[in-house]
Amino acid sequence: MTALSNPSPFEAAIEAGFAARSETTEAQAAAFDRFAALRLPNRRVEGWKWTDFSNALRNFTPANGAKETAPIAPSPFAALNPIELCIVDGRIVVPDEKIEGLHFGIMEPQAADPGFDNHAMLALNVAMTRKALGFRVLEDVELERPILIRHINKSDAPAFSQVLMRIHDNAKARVIESFEGAGAFYSTLFHMSLGEGATLDRAVLQESGPQSVTHAFFGVLVSRGAHLKQTGLSTGGRLCRHETFALVPNEAATVDIASASLVSGERHADFTSLVRFAGEGTTARQLHKGVARDRARNVFQGKFHVLREAQKTDAKMTANALLLSDGAEANHKPELEIYADDVECAHGSTVGALDDDALFYLRQRGLSEQQARALLVQAFVGEAMESIEDDAARAVFAARVNGWLEENE
Amino acid sequence: MLKIEDLHVAVGSKNGGGNEILKGLSLEVPKGEVHAIMGPNGSGKSTLSYTVAGRDDYEATSGDVSLDGDSILGLDPSERAAKGLFLSFQHPMEIPGVQTMNFIRTALNAQRKARGEAEVSAAEFIKLVREKAKLVGLDDAKLKRQFNVGFSGGEKKRMEMLQMAMFEPRFAIMDETDSGLDIDALKMVGEVVNALRGPDRGFLVITHYQRLLDYIKPDAVHVLAGGRIVKSGGPELARELEKSGYEQFIEAA
Repeated sequence: MTALSNPSPFEAAIEAGFAARSETTEAQAAAFDRFAALRLPNRRVEGWKWTDFSNALRNFTPANGAKETAPIAPSPFAALNPIELCIVDGRIVVPDEKIEGLHFGIMEPQAADPGFDNHAMLALNVAMTRKALGFRVLEDVELERPILIRHINKSDAPAFSQVLMRIHDNAKARVIESFEGAGAFYSTLFHMSLGEGATLDRAVLQESGPQSVTHAFFGVLVSRGAHLKQTGLSTGGRLCRHETFALVPNEAATVDIASASLVSGERHADFTSLVRFAGEGTTARQLHKGVARDRARNVFQGKFHVLREAQKTDAKMTANALLLSDGAEANHKPELEIYADDVECAHGSTVGALDDDALFYLRQRGLSEQQARALLVQAFVGEAMESIEDDAARAVFAARVNGWLEENE
Repeated sequence: MLKIEDLHVAVGSKNGGGNEILKGLSLEVPKGEVHAIMGPNGSGKSTLSYTVAGRDDYEATSGDVSLDGDSILGLDPSERAAKGLFLSFQHPMEIPGVQTMNFIRTALNAQRKARGEAEVSAAEFIKLVREKAKLVGLDDAKLKRQFNVGFSGGEKKRMEMLQMAMFEPRFAIMDETDSGLDIDALKMVGEVVNALRGPDRGFLVITHYQRLLDYIKPDAVHVLAGGRIVKSGGPELARELEKSGYEQFIEAA
């Protein structure tokens, strides 16, 4: 185990936590050494210049051992009758029920994809995660109930988790993840493998407490003819980065990624993604909507990487930012890296304020200025939420948007 | 009903340092009457409608506008709407993401609530909106779309007339509602206005052309040029203008 030189209080807590573990695998030791060499990413590291974890955790105070023991409130998604699993401060709570076609349980955590050896936050996760939550959706099974994974982080000590899931050929599943609690730091790594012709409908709601720092990484393999559908909404946390890495190795897959963030105060939301196309004829659509007010900041970094084998790729990426205050900020980095010659790829990015003409129109019809602004913000964000097929799930997301608007009147 | 007295409006500056567009405009539309305003481009017609409706940056530097005897210049646009003022926009905008039915119902209920009236239930609303949509010639499918998104110019004007019919305003300003409309649509506009016309309601119809006035018979016609009313008369004034143009008034202003 490499010692960290001049560790920050956060890094010192990590180092002590790792040293105190009775047994670690070689992969975990190697990951810790990589983290020790890389350290927390800061603005000088490519890909992290807008989202500086080193700075965000600068004022981290080591745990004083106090535990918040309040019972866990029911999830707003409870109405969907989900298969509910909780990860509380990194500890996995599995329900005692049997679902036909679905296996789940506690597993050993995994190493990250070797392509991400320079990713300090993944190295940190692999080094520190003790147990993983594992799922298998069996071939041809169409799960009726959604799987709800609640990431509840209440601890003042850093918390880590992993989720490993495999949706076998032609199976279909819905996964909802919520990030909750006012804990200090949470890191989660989700490995997903989508079999041929399989469909995943994933919806993520980030509503951690106002001081929470989160890093969530979702790595997904999208096999031939599979469909990945993902929608993320971030309204919480002090600094949250949600990363998606989708690898499409074969042909004819479909990738739909939508995200929206609503931030105020000093909050910071980051959606970063990479879709790598390595087979023919995949269709991808990506849409990001960011709303920021006060001195808050939204970051969007999206990249389509189209390899030479990926002819006939049809991929479009759009990012729109709405700034409601002079001090608010949006940072967009849409990227296309294309090596195939017969593809249709495009990206677009806009930043603007609310449309004065539309505001006046709505007010002339009787809406107060506040109502008119709220309606236009809902309309702006709503497009990114349309991809959630389930009405009840979409209603929970819409309610969160309305909640944000009410809190920020 | 609507009374405008010596109105001066400078656009683009809140402290009056902007460009003065209206230069002492006075006009009175009594209860139950329909008046038309005609005038060349750039004479201040749209500035007048925006100022009366209360758009930001269209502020009166002097003069007054009152509705039913109360000055409305200090009111928010939504308060003016609740008092029964409606503006049919010259260029109605598309508002992506806003569901048409939801918006019209929210607006109708906001107005009613401000007036202390009961809100309209979902069932009543749907009945009413279907009836009015039929009157203005918009099919139900259009009502299910996002507001004005992908609509033709004529359809957007029908959507304006739909809202006017729904809100039953005390006073409506129609800013070039006829521009871009074919004969059938002009007739429809005439029908909507004539159905609403009554002893407690007034209209100010802003137009370039006589032809709309064949369907809406105005009680009076005013010529706006150079930021003030330069001539007023009966319906025959519109026909005279159609023949001889505005040339004479541009010089007079």
